Amino acid sequence: MRDLAFIGFLLALFGMGLRRPFLFVLAYVYIDIVSPQRLTYMLLNSLPISLIAGAAAFGGWLVFDDKKDCRVAPRQGLILLLILYCGITTRTADFPAEALDKWDWVWKALAFAAFLPLTLRTRLRIEALLLFMTLSAASIVIVGGIKTLFSGGGYGELNLMVANNSGLYEGSIISAVAICIIPIVLWLARYGTLFGTGHAVKAFAYALVFACLLIPVGTSARTGLMCIGLLAVLMLREVKRPMLYLGALALAGLVAVPFLPSAFSDRMATIKTYQADESASTRLAVWQWTWEYAKTHPFGGGFEAYRQNRIRYDTVAVKGSGASTTVERNLTVDKSRAYHSSYFEMLGEQGYPGLALWLLLSLSGLIRMEILRRRHREGDFAWGGALAGALQHAHLIYLLGGAFVGIAFQPFIYMLIGAQIGLDTYLTRRRREATWRPMFGKRLTPATA
Amino acid sequence: MIDNFALGLTHGLMLLAAWLLLRRPDLDRETPPPGRDTRQEREPRA
Repeated sequence: MRDLAFIGFLLALFGMGLRRPFLFVLAYVYIDIVSPQRLTYMLLNSLPISLIAGAAAFGGWLVFDDKKDCRVAPRQGLILLLILYCGITTRTADFPAEALDKWDWVWKALAFAAFLPLTLRTRLRIEALLLFMTLSAASIVIVGGIKTLFSGGGYGELNLMVANNSGLYEGSIISAVAICIIPIVLWLARYGTLFGTGHAVKAFAYALVFACLLIPVGTSARTGLMCIGLLAVLMLREVKRPMLYLGALALAGLVAVPFLPSAFSDRMATIKTYQADESASTRLAVWQWTWEYAKTHPFGGGFEAYRQNRIRYDTVAVKGSGASTTVERNLTVDKSRAYHSSYFEMLGEQGYPGLALWLLLSLSGLIRMEILRRRHREGDFAWGGALAGALQHAHLIYLLGGAFVGIAFQPFIYMLIGAQIGLDTYLTRRRREATWRPMFGKRLTPATA
Repeated sequence: MIDNFALGLTHGLMLLAAWLLLRRPDLDRETPPPGRDTRQEREPRA
């Protein structure tokens, strides 16, 4: 039954794409995030629907779309450079077969991020992209939110429809992404033109934000809690009455704590006693290993290079208090542990040049968004300024979450980067048009009000 | 049950969004050249 519903949905979306080719781009975004082929048992999982949507999106743009307004931003060049570099390290990878597997999806995510801005020529397209990204993520977030409300969840226990922990369905990744989309959901509720900004839209948006906040609780992912903390700080920049906001935040925190499931509280308490915790100790040991590895392999070991690590570390637990305090040390030996950090993932797999490219891509995006945010605080493009702020906050939350989860190549984030570049080239072009018009005596849209 | 509710809700909204997009000329073109027929309803200028 569910199979048929998914097929009907995709057919409808592709059918509409025949009238408006941009919808193929949205279809690709949807398939990449939700992976309907993984939620079904027959038909869809044997068809290369992602490939079909990708080819239709690119073909639709190539054949039918107006290229007049296309602008290429330097960051797209950076993405292409990163693809090229990763391609080279894949050829010389320590684990050629495994590296090729990862390369297979990484290059697509990067290439789509470089392509996406070319299609984002209008405000409505930027909005539609973000709407599809959030609604697609919402299909996982709402499931997780409701199940958390009913069952309380637990680390590795929350059932998010797909059991194999891949893509956005992995607990720590969906925690970071769920918090990261909150600024975008709030922007859509305030500036959206497709569904408007009425009470029903606002109610849905707030309910979705609530579900997003529940995800770190349900998955007991410590990364998510830190992301919520950062979001709370970042929101201070947006609110009109900071003191009222801080008061409401404190009150919400006090009210929420008694309702938090014990599985969550117990796990969050391990943030302080991280030394006794295997998961946290492994991370520190893997990071240490990666740091040393990069010294001898400055250009990285290619994708999946972590598979060669052999790590030994002590977990230290302090028990009792006062004179009866005992320190328990347990030697743990482990191998092939994943990086558990996007920064170290880049350093180990792509070396210093790869890490530098990746950081440059992020930092330049943050700076560009800050410029747009300040430039368009008011006036006709205030929506753009607000969106630049939302995208910047989403990016910052990702960069914090990425410190503890290996999501350096998570396709969702690259779509976000694509949206940033699209917004940037769009606003730059519109600003130029607005200042150019008065020469003909038809000043229609002043640059600033 | 919960899975189908969440999937139904979000997919329904996406279909509605796609259908609304079909009716919006400003999806593909924001500023038509002067003299162009603009009978269809357009969004207020951004």
